[in-house]
Amino acid sequence: MLEIHAIDVFYGDLQALWGVSLNVQQGEIVSLVGPNGAGKSTLMKTVSGLLRPATGSIIFDGIRLDRVPAYEIVEMGICMVPEGGRLFSSMSVVENLELGAFNIEARKERFEALERVYEIFPVIKARKNQMAGTLSGGEQQMLAIGRALMSQPKLLLLDEISLGLAPLLVQSIFRVIKMINDSKQISLLLVEQNVRMALELGGRGYIIETGRIVGHDEAQRLLESEKVKKAYLGLGEVQGEN
Amino acid sequence: MTAEAIGQTLIYGITIGSLYGLAAVGLSLIFGVMSYLNVAHGTLLMLGAYASYWLFSLYGVDPFLSIPVVMMTVFLVGLILYVLVFSTLAKLETDSRIKNSLLISFGLMLVLDNLAILFWTADERTVTTFYSGAVLEFLGLRLPYVRLSGLALAVMGILALHLLLTKTYFGKSVRAASIDWEAATLMGIKVNKTYLFSFAISSALAALCGTLFCLSYAVTPTIGEAWSIKALIVVVLAGMGRIGGVFFAGLLLGVVESVSVFFVGASYQEVVGLVIFVLVLMFKPQGLFTMKV
Amino acid sequence: MEHKTKNAIILGCIFALLLFLPLFIKTDYVINFLVLVFLYVVVTQSWNILGGYAGQVNIGQSAFFGMGALVARMVWVSGMPVYIALVAGGLSAVVLAAIIIMPALRLRGAYFAIGTLALAVIIRITIGNIYPDLSFLPGEYLAAYALTPRYYVSLGLMVITTVAIYLIVNSRLGLGMVAIREEEDAAGASGINTFKYKVIALTVSSFFAGLAGGVYAYYQASYYPYTPFGLLWAFEPILITFIGGTGTILGPTIGAVGYVVLKELFAITLGEMSVIVFGILFILVVLFLPGGLIEASSRVFRLLARLNKGSQSL
Repeated sequence: MLEIHAIDVFYGDLQALWGVSLNVQQGEIVSLVGPNGAGKSTLMKTVSGLLRPATGSIIFDGIRLDRVPAYEIVEMGICMVPEGGRLFSSMSVVENLELGAFNIEARKERFEALERVYEIFPVIKARKNQMAGTLSGGEQQMLAIGRALMSQPKLLLLDEISLGLAPLLVQSIFRVIKMINDSKQISLLLVEQNVRMALELGGRGYIIETGRIVGHDEAQRLLESEKVKKAYLGLGEVQGEN
Repeated sequence: MTAEAIGQTLIYGITIGSLYGLAAVGLSLIFGVMSYLNVAHGTLLMLGAYASYWLFSLYGVDPFLSIPVVMMTVFLVGLILYVLVFSTLAKLETDSRIKNSLLISFGLMLVLDNLAILFWTADERTVTTFYSGAVLEFLGLRLPYVRLSGLALAVMGILALHLLLTKTYFGKSVRAASIDWEAATLMGIKVNKTYLFSFAISSALAALCGTLFCLSYAVTPTIGEAWSIKALIVVVLAGMGRIGGVFFAGLLLGVVESVSVFFVGASYQEVVGLVIFVLVLMFKPQGLFTMKV
Repeated sequence: MEHKTKNAIILGCIFALLLFLPLFIKTDYVINFLVLVFLYVVVTQSWNILGGYAGQVNIGQSAFFGMGALVARMVWVSGMPVYIALVAGGLSAVVLAAIIIMPALRLRGAYFAIGTLALAVIIRITIGNIYPDLSFLPGEYLAAYALTPRYYVSLGLMVITTVAIYLIVNSRLGLGMVAIREEEDAAGASGINTFKYKVIALTVSSFFAGLAGGVYAYYQASYYPYTPFGLLWAFEPILITFIGGTGTILGPTIGAVGYVVLKELFAITLGEMSVIVFGILFILVVLFLPGGLIEASSRVFRLLARLNKGSQSL
């Protein structure tokens, strides 16, 4: 459903992505992993419309995404959970969720959507009238995901959701998103520094390093590959220079 | 210095202060939402005042009744001005937005103020209705009905804005855009449209203040500049934050000015405002009523 | 021929021209016009020190200009010689800066701009309240009024200001100021006392603006004391520098000349509408030239320089 064809993305004169290609099929989980500064967030920003590729194209359900303004991309069914959540911290939890359902179609179904989000994240329900900024790190991340869900997305973009969270919390959040993918049939594209957790979700994985895709396979096979094990999982025998 | 004199001074301070607050609220809105500083805000107030004046003197429309029409008209003017002049600034980042909007709105003020002088001359215009002199006697105080209604309407205007911002989807999108416009875009909020309507609403509020102004004070083309600065002072005094803070800062300024006229005479009342302004700048530059940042 | 020598010769010629001008041009109109041009150059240059070089955009230059005018007028009319009055004006502007504007220096960027704007307007309104009446010159002064000395005083001030600013800009002081403009936090971290440099820039800026105000008071036969405090004197230097380019000495000078010429042309041809058309132009310039004309013109200069070099090598 999402096809990224050989895009180059620049920040001013600085090139961040070189000929990146990637695709996500309906109902899939796709992880994009790699080290810090490899360009993962850049890719997410480009898909969600905050940046434009200089060359190449992005197609979603047959429509050229790279020509569409960011606010329309949401209406098409792609919603990003940005890095750090970027909640509206001085507004309440409920207001943040309601804003997730801003676009007209989603707005009609917001009450049901709200209930569903409360079901998935009971902690959020308990704090629904608190200011978003007063929530703990994990709760904020959950709220950010819940907010994205309010937009009735077909594809969820998750940018570094494990960042800054304790491992147990990360595990439970990952369990939740796997469940979201399973039962709601919402496709996921995640970008992660925590390579193991991301790949353990299954689906497929891409490896990105300094702006280029250097590996692509099923997540399980990547987990077992020597290269990934050595580079990202701190496992495998050291065999000298590779 | 009798109790009545003090009471009278306080009442006048509160009534003019409520207008200061109303004038400042619109300015604070656009500054908070899109970081534009509109030096021509007072000019929009002046337009509202003239609109009510002309409706009254040419067609006999009571100023209070003219409020919806005047607000609508200036709302449209605000839409047009935003599209023509301010919309391209949305691409810039905050510091540039403030500086550029300052300069551009100054040019706008030059144009509109001088057009007003050209068309309407610099003569003072006053609105005198049958109830203009009517006064409510209460506890030995003389409370002009016109000023009391002005106070009431200013409060209502601000309450209406508050309700808009907290209870409507549009209002929430405005608040969201002012906190983090990129995140707002990611929610599907058309930030440009949000800016456009916020600007128009701000203009309409200025016009309302203008109408209330013309009921009690003489209207000339120069009030634009004077009230822009008053609004600016109130916004700085209040700092960024809730609208309530802006309103109370307006009341504070009004009361302080009024009281100081009592003590140092009318010539120096601005100096008091100046002193307060400098003190706030020095010791609490984030404003008196901000939420802790 | 060496670049710098060429420049010096051109400047020398212009200076000589201006110096001897009143000898062969007798029309008052031209002399009046030039006085205005010189004043604008000084006010713009003085603004540029704080706003262009040190990067602290202030919208309150009119406060210094007006203060200089106010005090100089009072001192002069009370019998003191003109030069003392002018210096008094300049110093009073510095005092004003010290009391009122310095606290605002703590503010950054746009908040400093807003603060200075509000202060400038409040000061204007206050002066207007305290001195609402027209300021006339006493009889003997009026009788002794001659344009020529005023021409030379304003010319002299312009030269002194330009030279002073040139010296400052090319000294360590100037370097410090530019460092602040470019990256205020980094400058502080590298050991530059940012506040000290801001204060120096402010002092220089206000002093020369005050002197200019004094010359204005010396030059104008009668005016309202609040007029030199008007907002135009606050915004125009900014606009001129916008067009002419902020980090140069030549930019604001040429800009000021061009601006006054343009304004005069408009006033002549458009009369009442001139301010309105001006305001529209003001808006258009800010909208479409955020980098200033200097960027566009410097590209033109570079192009010309390349062509020049090309033709020389033939």
